[in-house]
Amino acid sequence: MLSYLIRRCAYGVLTFFGITVAVFVLIHSVPGDPVALFIGVRTMRPPQALIDHVRHEHHLDQPIVAQYVWWVKGVVTLDFGKSIFTGRSVMEHIAEKMPNTFVLNLIAFLLAALLGVPIGLWSATRSGRLSERASAIGFFLLYSLPSFWVALLLMQFFAVKLNVLPLFGMTSDEYLQMNAAQQLLDRMRHLVLPVVTLSYAELAIFARFSKSALMEVIRQDFITTARAKGAAPSAVLWRHAFRNALIPLITLLGLTIPYLISGSVIVETIFQWDGIGRLYFDSMLQRDYPVILGLTVTTAVITLFASLFADILYALADPRIRLEAIR
Amino acid sequence: MREGGSIWGLTWRRFRRSKVAVIALVYVAFMAIVALFAPLLAGPAAPVPFGPNDVDIVHRLEPPTAQHRFGTDDLGRDVLARMIHGARISLTVGLTATAISLIVGSILGALAGYYGGAADWIVSRLIEILLCFPFLFLVLGIVALFKPSLYTIMVALGLTSWTTEARFVRGELLRIRDLDFAHAARAIGARDARVIFRHLLPNALAPVLVSSSFGVASAILFESALSFLGFGVPIPTASWGSILSIAEEHIQYAWWLALFPGVAIFLTVAAFNIVGDRFRDAMDPRSD
Repeated sequence: MLSYLIRRCAYGVLTFFGITVAVFVLIHSVPGDPVALFIGVRTMRPPQALIDHVRHEHHLDQPIVAQYVWWVKGVVTLDFGKSIFTGRSVMEHIAEKMPNTFVLNLIAFLLAALLGVPIGLWSATRSGRLSERASAIGFFLLYSLPSFWVALLLMQFFAVKLNVLPLFGMTSDEYLQMNAAQQLLDRMRHLVLPVVTLSYAELAIFARFSKSALMEVIRQDFITTARAKGAAPSAVLWRHAFRNALIPLITLLGLTIPYLISGSVIVETIFQWDGIGRLYFDSMLQRDYPVILGLTVTTAVITLFASLFADILYALADPRIRLEAIR
Repeated sequence: MREGGSIWGLTWRRFRRSKVAVIALVYVAFMAIVALFAPLLAGPAAPVPFGPNDVDIVHRLEPPTAQHRFGTDDLGRDVLARMIHGARISLTVGLTATAISLIVGSILGALAGYYGGAADWIVSRLIEILLCFPFLFLVLGIVALFKPSLYTIMVALGLTSWTTEARFVRGELLRIRDLDFAHAARAIGARDARVIFRHLLPNALAPVLVSSSFGVASAILFESALSFLGFGVPIPTASWGSILSIAEEHIQYAWWLALFPGVAIFLTVAAFNIVGDRFRDAMDPRSD
C-alpha cells in the first residue's frame, strides 16, 4: 500500500507541474506582447515607464526559463499577483468567493448522489425490461438538457409566473433585518433553483455510472457462483453485487468535480451567485488576466487533489487495485 | 449481398431495432438538411420570408403570430429565421470540433498504443493533465485569450476534447498491433507510419467514429453555452445560444425567446447522444 501511495503522489506532483507548464505555454502562445495581459485594456497607449515597470514586475524581461520558475514559485506559494481591476491579490478574491461555490456544489453533489445512485442501481436490476430501457433514455435526455436553458425555464416558471422563489441572488434585500430563522429560510429559498440546475445532469451521470457498474459486477463469475450455491436472489444482489458495484463510484468523486466547477460558471452567472464561477465570468468580461489564470490553475489543482484522494480511497477499498498498481 | 455482410450492415440491422434511435437519426438528418439549405428556407422569397438579420423595430419582442411563427427578438428579428441559420453554426461547430479532436486523438492514441513505452507515458500524462482542467474554464480561457470567433471556438473545443478518442485508439492499437496482419505488413517491409495509418488505424477506427456522435453532442452544447455567455460566435451571427442570452434579458415576459431555441438545442444534443449510444450497443458483439 505504501509503495502505491508514494507512486501515486509522485505522479500527482508531476501532473501539478504539467498543469503549470500548460497554463504558462498558453499565456505565451497568445499573439502579441504578454505584458498587455497584465496592464489591462486601456483606451490610450500606456506610458513606456508603466510598460517597463509591469514587464519588470512580472519578470517578462528575463529569459523564458527564469520566467517559468518565477511563475511556478508564485503558484506554489499561492501568489497569483494582483487583480488588474481591483488591485487586490488574486488569492484574496478566490478565497472570498470559494465558500459560496463550495456550499452550492456540495449540496448539488450530495443530492445527485443520493438520488442518482439508487435510481441507477434499481434500473440495473430491471435489466432487459421496458422500465430499464426507458430509464436509459431518460438519463440521456436529462444529460442533454442545456443547464442555462433549464435555469431560464425554472426562473420563468417559479420566480416570474408563480412568484414562489427568488429570481436570483444569494439573499433577499431585507436579509439584514431578519431574525436567524428567517435568514436561514431565506438562504435556503435562494439555494433551490441553482441547486436543481446544477444537480440534474450530475444525477444522470451518477445513475448511468452506477447502473453500468452494477451490470458489470452481475456479469462476473462470483455472482454466478453465489447463484449456483443456491443463495437467494435478493441476497446475491444485496450482499454480493451491490457492495462491489459501489466501489467504482469512488472514482466519480474525482471525475465529477471539474464537471461541477464548469457548471458553476453558468449557474452562478445566471443566478448571480457570488462564487468563483461568477468571478471567472466577470474577470473574462473585464479581461482581468491575473484572476483568470489564477482561477484556471486553482481549479485544476483542486481537481488534481480530488482525483488523488479518490484514487487512494479506491486503493484502500479494493485491494486488487493496489496489486495491479499503475503503469 | 450475402446475409451477414459487413460489420456496418450488421450494426445497422441491430440499430434499426430501436424505434427511439431511428427517430433520433431521422431528426439528425432533418437538422443537417435545415443547416445545409438555411438560406433557401429563411430569407427573401423563402418559406420563412425573413433573413436572420432583418431588423424590424416596430415589431420587436412580439409573441408568436401567423407572420412570425416563433415570435421576434428585441430588435424585431424573426426568431424562426435566426434559428434556421443558427442550425448552421451549431452543426458546423459540432462537426468540425469533433473532426479536430478525432484527428488529434487518433494520432496521439495510435502513437501511444503502437510504440508503448515513452510515447505511451507522455500521451498518458498529457491526458491526465488535460482532464484536470474544468472543461468550460479551459475553453472560456482559450477563447478569451485568442479573441472569440467561429474558428477559435472550433479549435478550442477540438483541442481540449480529444482525450476520449485517444484512450480508445490507444487501447485498440495495443490489442491489434501484435496480430498476424500487423506482423505481415511489417514483414513485407512497410514502414511504421504505413503500418499504423494504413493497416492498424482503419481497423481501430469504427468504434471511435461511432462514439464521436457523443463528441458532436457535447460540442453543440458547449458552443451554445459559450454563445449564451457572450463568448461565442460574434454578434450579429445567429446562434441558438445567443438567442437564449437575449431571452435572459427579457425573462419577465418573452417566454418564446427562451422556449424555442432551447428545445432546438435539447433535441439536437439528445438526438446525437441517443444515436451514439444505440450505435455503440449495436456494434458491441456482446449484445445478443
